[in-house]
Amino acid sequence: MKDLHFIILLLRKEILLEFRTRSAISGIFLYVISTLFVVYETFVKIQPNVWNTLFWIILLFVAVNAMVKSFVQEKGNRVLYYYSLLNPSHVLIAKIVYNTLLLLVLSLLIWGLFIFFGDNPVKDLGLFLLILFLGSFGFSVTFTFLASLVAASNQSSTLLAVLSFPLIIPIILMLVKISAHALRLIQDTAVSGDIAILVAIDLLLCGVALLLFPFIWRD
Amino acid sequence: MIEKGKIWKFSGVILIVYVIIAGLLIPLKPGIESVEPSYGNAGETLKIQVTGYNTHFKEAGNTLRAWLKWDNGKAIAATEMVALDERRMNLTFSIPNNLPENTEVQAVTLLIDSETDGTSVLPSAIFLTQTEKVIAAEEVPWVKPSNFSNNGLITFPFRNILGETIRNTYFHVPLWFGMMFLFLFAVIHSIKYLRKGDAESDLKAEAYTQTGIFYGLLGLITGALWAKNTWGAYWSWDIKQNMTVVALLIYAAYFILRASFEDPEKRARVCAAYGIFAFSTLIPLLYVIPRLTDSLHPGSGGNPAFGSQDLDNTMRLVFYPAVIGFTLFGFWLSSLQFRYLRLQKLREDLD
Repeated sequence: MKDLHFIILLLRKEILLEFRTRSAISGIFLYVISTLFVVYETFVKIQPNVWNTLFWIILLFVAVNAMVKSFVQEKGNRVLYYYSLLNPSHVLIAKIVYNTLLLLVLSLLIWGLFIFFGDNPVKDLGLFLLILFLGSFGFSVTFTFLASLVAASNQSSTLLAVLSFPLIIPIILMLVKISAHALRLIQDTAVSGDIAILVAIDLLLCGVALLLFPFIWRD
Repeated sequence: MIEKGKIWKFSGVILIVYVIIAGLLIPLKPGIESVEPSYGNAGETLKIQVTGYNTHFKEAGNTLRAWLKWDNGKAIAATEMVALDERRMNLTFSIPNNLPENTEVQAVTLLIDSETDGTSVLPSAIFLTQTEKVIAAEEVPWVKPSNFSNNGLITFPFRNILGETIRNTYFHVPLWFGMMFLFLFAVIHSIKYLRKGDAESDLKAEAYTQTGIFYGLLGLITGALWAKNTWGAYWSWDIKQNMTVVALLIYAAYFILRASFEDPEKRARVCAAYGIFAFSTLIPLLYVIPRLTDSLHPGSGGNPAFGSQDLDNTMRLVFYPAVIGFTLFGFWLSSLQFRYLRLQKLREDLD
């Protein structure tokens, strides 16, 4: 119960900080809108199979840009203060939950803009919403954990892309496959099995990240 | 005398030498390369020319026997056999009017047996067409091929598309096994580092990762050469090829990450964490995702699984030593690389 209390407090802190310094989040929203605009300007008409891939690729790039600053604030003297006060697992869980929520909002925004600019190829809404959640969670786990590594190294955001893109491939392949099912591009009876594999990959990475984070956090 | 601690290094080298000698010198079993023409009709006298591989048709003389065999076990013997040279032979079969199966086109297996070469089989060698069923009763001299001879020589199996490239099984596949063992040891040393904080474990993890990538590249190259000879192209966008490149990219990123730290203690800690995280994504990447889509590799997309049909007992005698040998050799390379890294670090500390 106490754990949950700490996590909720940290989550509140994340959300409050984000809305106090609105520049970062508005930057990401603007990034999404301009990307979508460029996509529709250049593609004009998007076929469902292209839509499927494009959607996840855009979300991938948005996620890298949104998540790279996850641990930028935890620097210098403030980290000493946090370190004496908090359990590292709580910090990571709060960050993962916050980033999942953020990515979920961003993916809904991308989807909404796609519908606004073009049309909606999604046929199975429930399934698509489910994988939006699973995808956001998987991206959030991977990028949040790797952002904590990158933050330790004083390197630019390209390092996060270099580290994360190969690691995200299992997740994105599963996402594209299941979402092709939600768009009725393929008829596959094994979709529940695919969802189970995606959940398993997400949980595996989340578990490993939780185990390893205390070592990164300790400075 | 060899020191006790060095025995595994010597056995690794000896096993690799054995694998190179045995794997490259043991000949392939005689086999049937092609049959011309590969189709015929019911009721006709079919003359075919057989091209063999490693065969001795002339030498075999009158111990040669040949059959066309249907799936249901019925077979007819060749009526005439003329060996043109050691590798080419003309066979004549009188195909019965009533073929033994109900389909219009029936695939038959060609069997050739001789005392010098043993038995060779070419499945679906000839496609026979039967347009209409002839009612008239007919005496067909059905036989059951038996008394197969065995020339008693040690050989590797002959497979039609693979041919001599079957020997790559002793290099391509063990290199992959070795790579996985090396990455596994790298991750074990990473875990050790996080638990104990011993700087040597970090260097060991780096050394194992380096040799692992080296093995991965060798596996990729041997695989690409094999693919060129059997699938027709170096790169076929096969799921396993792609996932392998992804795995190598993951470990290449490991070195980018290493290079971006000044403080060795911090570098060791962060890189150990990344190494463990990366290794845990290798499991879905190499063992789950490739199983979901079609692949040209054995064991997926309807291809026979590796091990059951592809390895016979002679191949096992070379394949298992190859796996052990390449793995031990990889460990030796890693320990050399570790010593080099340790000296390098020592020099940096002195400077």
